[in-house]
Amino acid sequence: MRRRLLFAIAILVISAWLLLLELVGDDLGRLGNGFDNLLVFFEESLWPPDWSVLEARSYPKCEEGVELFCSVAWIGMVETIKIAFIATAFGFVGALLLSAFAAKNLMPLWLNIPARIILAAMRSLPSIIWAILFVIVIGFGPLSGVLAMTFYTVGYLGKLQYEAIEGMDNSPLEAGRAMGLRSDEIMIGIVIPETSNHLLSQLLFMFEYNIRHGTVIGIVGAGGIGYYINMYLKFLQYDKVIALLLIIFLVVVLIDLLSMAARSFVTEDGDVKRPSWFTVLRSPTKAASHHHLDESE
Amino acid sequence: MPTAAQQSDKRLLLTTQNLSIGYGKPLVSAMNIEVRAGEIISLLGPSGIGKTTLLRTIAGLVSPLAGEIKSKVAKRGGIGYIPQRLGLTRHASVAHNVELGAKVGLPWALPFKRAERDQRVLSAIKSMGLEEKMREPVRRLSGGQQRRVATARTLAQRPNLILADEFLGELDATNVALVLDAVNRLVAQGSAMIMVEHHEERAREIADRIWRIVDGKLLEEVVEVAVEKVVE
Repeated sequence: MRRRLLFAIAILVISAWLLLLELVGDDLGRLGNGFDNLLVFFEESLWPPDWSVLEARSYPKCEEGVELFCSVAWIGMVETIKIAFIATAFGFVGALLLSAFAAKNLMPLWLNIPARIILAAMRSLPSIIWAILFVIVIGFGPLSGVLAMTFYTVGYLGKLQYEAIEGMDNSPLEAGRAMGLRSDEIMIGIVIPETSNHLLSQLLFMFEYNIRHGTVIGIVGAGGIGYYINMYLKFLQYDKVIALLLIIFLVVVLIDLLSMAARSFVTEDGDVKRPSWFTVLRSPTKAASHHHLDESE
Repeated sequence: MPTAAQQSDKRLLLTTQNLSIGYGKPLVSAMNIEVRAGEIISLLGPSGIGKTTLLRTIAGLVSPLAGEIKSKVAKRGGIGYIPQRLGLTRHASVAHNVELGAKVGLPWALPFKRAERDQRVLSAIKSMGLEEKMREPVRRLSGGQQRRVATARTLAQRPNLILADEFLGELDATNVALVLDAVNRLVAQGSAMIMVEHHEERAREIADRIWRIVDGKLLEEVVEVAVEKVVE
């Protein structure tokens, strides 16, 4: 079994390598120089990050008590988080409605197919393309960003949600149907609580995803921190760009921690003993005996 | 033990004509059965012979292959189905699950009926001895407790016809008595029950009639009761 698995992985990697050679040809040699270029770029332009992005802008005049609140990083990040939050909230509700129609175990095929086509259409354009479209239609600013992200969120989250719904246990659905519960009662009373773990983790993932993409859609003028990143890129101020990127990274990590805490309400983790660092570092048998000791306490 | 005359007096809930069931090819065919209010029927037979399929067909989850079912049972709230895996919403609380039963049992859930619904939920939970677990998610309960939750849901629903798939399965003697007592009370009030059983002895103790699936046919037997059955 193990040998067959290794063989399969080897074939996969080799065929991908051959494809790569065919695709890029001699360009592969440039990788060697690439690393030197990266070092130079890093030393001369990127490092150290220019933390002046955390200081108040010279114009307009800062009227807040704390200087940070007038800084480029704060203003951009807050706007990005606002856009992401609104888009995730609206997108979640829209996705939940559409995914109920798209799930094969809830609705008949003649409703599944149109719902899936709508979701696929909304998902097939990345949020940056939606943003460009909305900027053309309604102009620059956060409203275009919100609309672009909401559209993409519905398409992407809807697919994750109907797959989670289709993966749920059939038995509560059958009991509910036999009892004579209406479709909306089955959705609210059975499907949502039963898939809550997936729904919540997908919701938080989407929020984080939208924050990361807030940086991209800003580049086409749809608001948020991406607007400033784009500006600094144009003026070749890469040290300011990297400072902003590090701040985004920090926010993403924070949201990930937050989502871990939020999900612990609905996962079954609480029922099982969580491994501690102490037991992870020890051998499995020793770790097991540690847990047993705990139980007898 | 009701006499034959009394038996025919009881309200007819469901009849079938030449019913054939199965998925694609028939498992059991040409069934002409009737179910009356106030009786318990045990369904016996080895695994995979079509017992669950019969319950699911009566519950309206599977279409019959041939023949028809004439049912006087209400579409909403008339059938209480306890599948083998109990059909509980595991991530929701005990109270939430029982409330789903009360919701279909009291079809007009108008605001002034709210108190009545809550009352039903509470008394069903109490009669199954689950007051202290009311707010806990079902997944944290033991197998036996989960079976009691499924019973409480059916109690709150008060359906005309209970379809139970091996639901006494892994219960201990005390819990079997508790659950059967509750079911008997519902049956005394005019519900009927069809239950899949594996223990023939237990089936004879509980049921008024036994249905046995043999070679794709349903055979019926009326249980002769030596000792009078205790019904409240």
